[in-house]
Parts: sequence; C-alpha cells; structure tokens
Amino acid sequence: MSSLTSYAEANLKLNPLHRGWQRFVGFLFPSESDTWLTVFRIGLGLQVTLYALFLRNDWHYLFASSGKGLVGRELGEAITSFDGPLIPKLGWLVALGRNLNISEDTVLSVAWVGLASAGCLLLVGLLSRPAAIVAWFVHLCAAESGGLLAYGADNFMTTALFYLMLSPLPDSYSFDHWVTKTKPRNPQALGFWRRMLQVHLCFVYFIGGLAKFLGNGWWDGSNLWRSLIRPPFNLVSPDLLVHFKYALPFLGISICLLEVSYPVFIWLKRTRRIWLGCILAMHASIGLMMGLYLFALVMIVMNVAAFGVPDASTRAQAASGCPEQ
Amino acid sequence: MYLRRIHAAWFGIHFFLVTAVCLAGVFWLIAKGATILPSAWDEFARKAELIATWCQGKKAGPSNPVRLVIGTYLHAAGIQAGYSFFAPNVPSHHRLTLKLFHDDGRIEYELPRVRSRAAALRLDSLLNRLAEQRYEPNREVVVKGLALSVWREHPDVKKVRATFETVHLPSITEFEHGKTETLEPMFSFDFSLRGEEQQ
Repeated sequence: MSSLTSYAEANLKLNPLHRGWQRFVGFLFPSESDTWLTVFRIGLGLQVTLYALFLRNDWHYLFASSGKGLVGRELGEAITSFDGPLIPKLGWLVALGRNLNISEDTVLSVAWVGLASAGCLLLVGLLSRPAAIVAWFVHLCAAESGGLLAYGADNFMTTALFYLMLSPLPDSYSFDHWVTKTKPRNPQALGFWRRMLQVHLCFVYFIGGLAKFLGNGWWDGSNLWRSLIRPPFNLVSPDLLVHFKYALPFLGISICLLEVSYPVFIWLKRTRRIWLGCILAMHASIGLMMGLYLFALVMIVMNVAAFGVPDASTRAQAASGCPEQ
Repeated sequence: MYLRRIHAAWFGIHFFLVTAVCLAGVFWLIAKGATILPSAWDEFARKAELIATWCQGKKAGPSNPVRLVIGTYLHAAGIQAGYSFFAPNVPSHHRLTLKLFHDDGRIEYELPRVRSRAAALRLDSLLNRLAEQRYEPNREVVVKGLALSVWREHPDVKKVRATFETVHLPSITEFEHGKTETLEPMFSFDFSLRGEEQQ
C-alpha cells in the first residue's frame, strides 16, 4: 500500500511535459502480436503479384524509352529527377544493364520478373524482408519512371511497401519463420509499425473527406454520378444509375462523413467495426463499379492490417471473457 | 529508450511532412477557387499553401540539399502527393484524337491505345495531367510520343493531327433528357515527317 502511495506521489511530481511524453510513448509503442503483419505481408504480396500480372502485356510499352513505347519514360524520369536525383527509376537499371551489354528489353523483363517474384515470395513469406525491399524498389522505379502515367494506387502501394520493408519481418506465419525458427519479434516494435499504418490511414481519410466536403458536387450527388459515368470508370450503365438518382446525394454526403470522421470513430472500440465495415464496403464498391481493382485491394489490405486484426488488448479481453469497453 | 526516441522523432518528422503535403493540396484547391468556400478565403489559402510548400523545402533552390533530401524521402515513402482524389469535384474527362492522313489520301481517326485495363487507367491519368496548366510545357513532347506510338502501326501515314479535347459529361437530368457528352477542343498539334507545328 505504501509503495503504491509513493508511486502515485512520484507520478504527481512528474511535470506535465514528462507525463505527456510518457503517454505519447505509450501510444506509439503498444504491445502487439505479429498477426497484423502477416495480413499486411500476404495482402501486399497479392497486390504486387496482381500489379505485375495486370501490367504484363503493357510493361515494355509503358516503360520503354522514347520512340519504342507509349510516351517514353525519359520525361517522367526528368520530372522525378527535379524533385531528387536519388529517387530510384528504371533508367538506373537500364544504364546498369547497358554497362553489362544487356539490352533495355531484357532489363525491363528482368525488372518485371523481379517484381512478380517478390510478390510471390511475400505471399508465402519466403525471404520476406529482401522480397519486401525488392518489391518496394522495383515498384518505385516503375511508378517514378511512369511519372505522368501513375495514379493513386501507385502512391498507396509505395507507402504500404515502404512500411512493410521497415516492419519487423519475418512474422511467425511466414515460411522464413518455419525454416529458421526465428525468435518472436519485440511486441512494441510491432506495435509501433502498426501505429504508423493506423495514423497514416487517418490522415488519408480525413484529408480526402475534408477536400470532398469542399466541393458542391458531393452534396448533391452529382460527383458520384460523374465518377461512375466517366470513362474509363464507366462499368455501370448510366440507365441503371438513373434509377438510383435519389440515393446519390445521400451516398455522396455519407462518403464525405465516413471519411472525415474516420480518425475519430475508427479508434473507438464500439464504432470501429462499423466504420471499418463501411470503409471496406466503399473500397469494394469502387473496385467493382469503377474497375479500380488495384486501388481497392491496396486500401482494403491497409485497412484490414491496421484495424481489422484485433489488437493484443482486445484478444486478451476476449480470452478472459470480459466484454469490450 | 534511445531507439524509442529515434522512432518517435522519425514518427514526428514523417507525419509533419504528410501534413504539409496534404494541407498544401487542400489550400491549393481553395486558392484556385475550386471549392464552395467564399472567395475571401482565397488570399489566406494562397499564403497557407506557400507555408505548407515551404515546409516541404520546395521554396529552396533546385540544388538545395534540404530540398533534395525531403523530395527524395517523400517519393520513397509515396507521400509526395496529397489525398484529395476526386475532390473537391470529379475532374473533367479528356480525349486525344489522332487524325491520320495516309499517303493515298485516306483519313482515319485513332485514339492512343494500350492492351490492358490497368494500362488504360494510366493513359487516362496521363491525359488528365496534360489538361493541367502546370504540365503545359510538356504537352507537345507527350502528345508527340502518343502520336508516334500510333504512327508506328501506320507507316504509310504522312501527317498526324492530334486534337486534345475536354469531354463534358451530361448531368443526370440532362442525361434523362437525352443529352450526351459534348467536346471542347483545348489544343492541337500537327506532326509530319519533316517537322511539326502547333495550332
């Protein structure tokens, strides 16, 4: 009892700054198991593999140099170099290949094979960290060399692979763990990297929701209509959409509300499942109704890894039979 | 504890940069008057955008090491662009039509083509960027590349006229009354084997 009192007194003596720091550290480094990391690794493995497969017929056409492909990768690389000459690009690999008397076509093929292989290795968890680094590097090279051809899914893939390669791989469900019997990773390091992902998603949705709220088209449903009839996203017939015209304003406002309130309601255990379910449904709809399959998948993977896998405290409560707070 | 401090510091810097990039994007939208906010906000947004851009080191000289380090990090982490997709409103769709003049006098119309849907999304992204003012200096080079990609499949073509248009989609009410999309030309280029001229 006396020791408890002295602890409380000592705690009171701590200045507010120090208490704030302790709370911040407590938030940043929660104890976590590696289940979320397994979901993240497998999900991104699938994402990278599909990315490579979807682009296999156009890979050379999109990333070849001027005069051989669609627009030539030199312009994209020049724009990227303005932001930083050390940003990886396919031109580096091509230049390296030229020094070794390897043609551009061969280098691009090797890059594609490397990316597809890294995706498959991530799926099974073999050489997890090298695979994550290769996937991040080759995908970044392609995204930066593509430059003007890149879209939202590329940014999210880069971010997700960036977090994955820095996370404490391998996880205990990987082939690596089965082969080498590695020691369990530091639970607080696992918690930190999950926090990174969680906080990042809060930024993504809050800014996305806020920016949408500032457009009149999200209040009257016209933006939903325009996004669904706009090529190349026009997979649903406009004649069918017209039947739901009265639902469009409600859906438009709901999307804005869902996104802008995500950083609040996703943290509350009572509302987490509802918000997560709605966000996943929104991304699944975007994927199926607009054909943005890779964008939908990467967002679903990031959300499920960040908030879909129960954290250590929730699992402990479930095991002890206590209801969730 | 030492390692934790490094992680915490990195967390702070990383999300400071994410905030700067995101806010720069939102303030840019407000400053150009694309939102429902009153125009009185434009000046404030312009200043706020400058501050957010400064935080990313973009106001420094092109060879400034701080700028280059921040730029490289932003690209490596995939956080160089904000998250205001389809916001504040869904942008217009754009189309590039290539008019092919054959040697024998025939005229054909073609659109730049890719094989897969995944690549089609990228082509759409490219065309939408071309419409933006900031990519104006790159338009001719990109359009020439796209024209050349079609030209390779039609070697007997002596001239290509590339016309870039904004496609205005009908509103839901207009669609119900039978209105379809309308095209508004933005710019065009003529390319021939001898050279090219802008119109």
